[in-house]
Amino acid sequence: MNSILRFLLWFVIALLGGLAFGTIALHRGEQINALWLVAAAVCTYALGYRFYSKFIAAKVLALDPQRATPAERLENGRDFVPTNKWVVFGHHFAAIAGPGPLVGPVLAAQFGYLPGTLWILVGAVFGGCVQDFVILLFSVRRDGKSLTEMAKDEIGRVGGFVAYASVIAILVILLAVCALIVVNALKQSPWGAFTITMTIPIALLMGVYLRRLRPGRVLETSAIGFVLVLLAIWGGQWASQTPAVAKYFTLTAPALAIAIILYGFAASALPVWLLLAPRDYLSTFVKLGTIGLLAIGIVLMHPTLHMPPLTRFIDGTGPIFAGKIFPFAFITIACGAISGFHSLISSGTTPKLIRRETEIRMVGYGAMLCESMVAIMATVAACVLEPGTYFAINSPAGIVGQAADKAVGVISGWGFPVTASGMQALAQSVGEQTLFNRTGGAPAFAVGMAHIFSNSLGGQAVMALWYHFALMFEALFILTVLDAGTRVGRFMIQDALGHIWKPLGRTSWYPSIVTTSAIIVAAWGYFLWQGVRDPLGGINSLWPLFGIANQLLAAVALCVATTIIIKMHRAKYALVTLAPLTWLVIVTFTASWHKIADSDPRIGFLAQARQLAAAGGNPRLIFNNRLDAVVTGILIALVSLLLIESLRHWTGLLSGKRTAQTSEAPSIPTRLAEERV
Amino acid sequence: MKLIRLLHEILREIFEESAYERFCARQGVPPGAPSYASFLRESGTGTRPKVKCC
Repeated sequence: MNSILRFLLWFVIALLGGLAFGTIALHRGEQINALWLVAAAVCTYALGYRFYSKFIAAKVLALDPQRATPAERLENGRDFVPTNKWVVFGHHFAAIAGPGPLVGPVLAAQFGYLPGTLWILVGAVFGGCVQDFVILLFSVRRDGKSLTEMAKDEIGRVGGFVAYASVIAILVILLAVCALIVVNALKQSPWGAFTITMTIPIALLMGVYLRRLRPGRVLETSAIGFVLVLLAIWGGQWASQTPAVAKYFTLTAPALAIAIILYGFAASALPVWLLLAPRDYLSTFVKLGTIGLLAIGIVLMHPTLHMPPLTRFIDGTGPIFAGKIFPFAFITIACGAISGFHSLISSGTTPKLIRRETEIRMVGYGAMLCESMVAIMATVAACVLEPGTYFAINSPAGIVGQAADKAVGVISGWGFPVTASGMQALAQSVGEQTLFNRTGGAPAFAVGMAHIFSNSLGGQAVMALWYHFALMFEALFILTVLDAGTRVGRFMIQDALGHIWKPLGRTSWYPSIVTTSAIIVAAWGYFLWQGVRDPLGGINSLWPLFGIANQLLAAVALCVATTIIIKMHRAKYALVTLAPLTWLVIVTFTASWHKIADSDPRIGFLAQARQLAAAGGNPRLIFNNRLDAVVTGILIALVSLLLIESLRHWTGLLSGKRTAQTSEAPSIPTRLAEERV
Repeated sequence: MKLIRLLHEILREIFEESAYERFCARQGVPPGAPSYASFLRESGTGTRPKVKCC
């Protein structure tokens, strides 16, 4: 293509993107089509990838196609394997795409569709994609080292300690919030509870089939598992309509929380091949298929967004979580815009598979763009609902009341009309007893997804099946994160305790397995219990805490990246990582201050503790609020420590007082031929 | 056809079928229950799960 045509093509993409942005941002008082969001996203991603990531690749990182990667130099056929770039891309995307980009945008939709959409697009192009891209390259140039190792090598022991502590903290809060979402999605839902319970024997069966009957045939086993899960969804309808069976699966939130805590402990102690690995395969199988299906559904149905661009709740009085649009919209949506957790994947398995440095742009930057698109689809799924319905599902009983009549009165009073009979009809159409107070984002997403799917395929008659398919998809997804995360946390604790007493570090020593499993499960189980008992629904306190922890981990990753860029003598380009780092520091520190010290009891943990104490409230709730304030304070203190240490390094390096020593592996020319695929 | 082959390859890598094939080739063992058990032990799939994002 000649240069004039190329220029024209990119000009048209920019023009279309501008038009789409104008439409989604400037329309007031009339509904817009969801395809405008998709168009804005696709054009932004295309421009970001073509121009910004190319600039970073060429000027900032100077990717070298002739430099051998660790996959080539250290190839062992096990961890280090030079792999086709599309295969690595798929592998990386499957690892980074979790429930976060589905839940965060649904919760943030309480501000309207505009703030979330803008943050997802801008945050991804200038923050999340950049973080994933640079951390992946720096790990590749350091023989696939992890983020914590790079932090220790480049910023010192303080950096390593802060990174380690942040990972543990985010893991505990993440697991608690994941479990809470499942509890809220499955409480009083015999159909959903039956389907998800059935995934445990299905996973066990898959484990045995894979190990004994058809060793190594994972795709075949996953396909069989998927068919069994579909049967379980169909069986769930029978279970919910058979009183003798339904009573065993109609569970309260505390009962579900106890079941999930016990499940987490068992999953951490059982052999991985038996339960965890097959469930992971099944979850990935369903995840990739459903995301593809949702994208097709949105394009085919091109639904209208009923949510306004901005709601009255930008003032901080939102029922789903309290707090103003700044900073809370930016910590509510982490995955999809920028997620610190991705830096663990970018410095985990992926760098050991990269065949050529130039492919890192597509894998690191490109895969994050795809995850950002998933977040846009979640925004669409939430915003196709009538706002009254959306708020009725997502608002906790503590805000709108337990009774349907009272809840619809409160929600209609906000200017979002909804009726008790309409909600009852919706609940019946999806096979639920009620859809009021189903906080956590998952049920609202499932209703939106079922709405899109049923309009594309099967009509209203299969709405209930689609709803439970969507619910199963999310719960399966989340439980996979829960069991894998519990186990990863167990290993991290064993690694740390091994320094104190060697036997505790032995991953196969049963007393150590039980002790460390109990520690990690007790940690997230405590926060889960706190969320279940919270009169405001738990999400109000736990999701912001998770968002803060996740974004602070991103700040740690960007600190490491900025340090390395300065050490590479490319300080003039350090703004590429410094700008998102500065933004994250402003956002997370402001959000943390609000969560600790805001005088509004719905926002500030300490204010809520004071209010409860003054009213003679439950001492446990008072303690929990104080604990949340302390955890937030510790996270901020840790990252402040890292920032000070990094600043000391940067000023030393820039003034010439400190020499730029990096832990980069020596550059060796590649012997691999150029890839054709 | 090329696209389907590529998609199949991606899925095989994600689901660790390719890794198992490489293991068998490297060790010179036929596919089967004992070699799969050894693969799981060596790759860590049998003990350590991969980090998954939220």
